[in-house]
Amino acid sequence: MTEDELTALVGTRMPGGSRTLEKWWVTLVLDAMECSPEDGASHPTFVFLVATGSMGWTWNELFDVFHATEADGPMFGETNTTVHTPLQTGETYTVRGEIVSAARKTGKKTGVFDIVGYRLDVLDAQAELVASTTNSIVFPRRGEAA
Amino acid sequence: MNIEVGQSLPARIIESVDPEKMKLLSALMRDPNPIHFDRVAVAQLGMGDKTVNQGPSNMAYVLSMLGQWAGGSDRITHYRFRFLGNVFEGDRLEALGVVTAVTEKIDRLEVECSLSLTVMGGAEVLTGAGTVLLPKEHA
Repeated sequence: MTEDELTALVGTRMPGGSRTLEKWWVTLVLDAMECSPEDGASHPTFVFLVATGSMGWTWNELFDVFHATEADGPMFGETNTTVHTPLQTGETYTVRGEIVSAARKTGKKTGVFDIVGYRLDVLDAQAELVASTTNSIVFPRRGEAA
Repeated sequence: MNIEVGQSLPARIIESVDPEKMKLLSALMRDPNPIHFDRVAVAQLGMGDKTVNQGPSNMAYVLSMLGQWAGGSDRITHYRFRFLGNVFEGDRLEALGVVTAVTEKIDRLEVECSLSLTVMGGAEVLTGAGTVLLPKEHA
């Protein structure tokens, strides 16, 4: 993938999706993450989980958009999340997402890599924005010359 | 409780990251990445012989520490993290936080904290910041 092809993907919208936070699922996720069951879906990590889980692409489909696979070793870079209203168990949320940045960089040790940023908005049943998370993924480009 | 810049939050220790919890979260999230549940796959990738913890779990350990101090995780209004490294099964972790700013709002206090997660005896794997809104009587 050329740098021009990479940057042309900024603005690409994700299919999006929706998720109902069923109590059994919330309870088991809290247990898996060593969280208190009293937190319920208001634990802010649920924003990330709901957003990425309902963006409308699997991780492999997202990687494919950037001509990468799991075998390339893509890595989480950063996450930046704002919670306007804590999520609630039993509620249904809609997710919409967009690629917001894409840049090619070169590191002395890492060689060529791409950093892709995507924003996911979480809306409640009244279509009110309740949370937003902007995240980045690092794609190593071992085949690209530095 | 008196809240001041520079104040340390009570640390949270995860005594040993449980690989069974990784399997559970993989199933719940329909995450097919085998590094979270298959030691052979981890070895084939040259990453050692222990399964790799999910990034959201690492975040959750730290955010739970912040939420417990704040009186509820629903008081967290913002967080940002950089993922610096992997956490493996069996790792002993320490989540830390320090108050970096206190801003008085009309009816609440906005408190910003620096946050981190470190493998004890190893490297820092997560660094970032979080913001909580507290009732004034909390201070």
